[in-house]
Amino acid sequence: MRRTLQRSLVIVVASATLGVVVNAVRSDVGKDGKLRCIPFVTPPKAEIRNQEFVPLAMAQGLWSSGSAFFLDARAPADYAAGHIANALSLPAEAFDQHFPQVASYLTTDSVIVCYCDGTECDLSHRIAELLRQRGYTNVRILKNGWTEWNRAAYPTTKGAKP
Amino acid sequence: MTKWINLLLRLIIGGIFVAAGAVKIVNPAAFADSIANYRMLPHEWINAFAITLPWVEVAAGLLLIIGIWMRTNALLIALMLVMFIIAIGQAVGRGLNIECGCFGTVEGRKVGLVALAEDAAMLAAAAWLAWREKD
Repeated sequence: MRRTLQRSLVIVVASATLGVVVNAVRSDVGKDGKLRCIPFVTPPKAEIRNQEFVPLAMAQGLWSSGSAFFLDARAPADYAAGHIANALSLPAEAFDQHFPQVASYLTTDSVIVCYCDGTECDLSHRIAELLRQRGYTNVRILKNGWTEWNRAAYPTTKGAKP
Repeated sequence: MTKWINLLLRLIIGGIFVAAGAVKIVNPAAFADSIANYRMLPHEWINAFAITLPWVEVAAGLLLIIGIWMRTNALLIALMLVMFIIAIGQAVGRGLNIECGCFGTVEGRKVGLVALAEDAAMLAAAAWLAWREKD
């Protein structure tokens, strides 16, 4: 029995060591383009900085404290017909055209709240994704934003300007 | 007769462990994700486990097939199976809808009673081998 135990230990230690060594020297790359080796101690979980959706109450708090930029992802005509007060227009359909102007207000760590209208609306998701691709790290979405904001009777404005 | 049954069992169990370990060695990051899904280990330990465990699987399976230290390796395999059964059992018990990760992520299979039954059957075979074979 004792011998079996010793031998188990030999096998476990030897193969585990082999695993560690191979992991340390391997440089093969997977289909996803990432190296196959991984750090021995699991790195801490990425901060949950992007709880992707921001609840209405929190959005309102961000709005009234002026600590977030609100971006309206709907078409310019919808924006002109009424938008969250101080929100900037960044239509998903004409992102590249409008982005430079919006970008002049933002830094990459600005708190950004994107919204459109309707629970199925994906315009806000699209601009959020495009913003993240451009290095903005703090992008959130107010789901069904325009409807929810109106329902709560929070401040809105009409016109093509913020 | 028993000799041939034992040989067959060694080939099957050993083969399964070599294959399962090899798939995980190819992609340790995917295996680490699978381990994380079980929510059993402390976070920092997950990678160390993902780096080492597959090699123990391969070593024990290979040695069992070749016929070196058969009792020891059958016991090691049985021990790993007990560990897997506990892991899958607690996942099923907690209602986690996660991938088994038993053979990497290639099989795309969820944890459940089927995976538990397979491991239990292998455990029985490994225990039998540990009892009947010599080192």
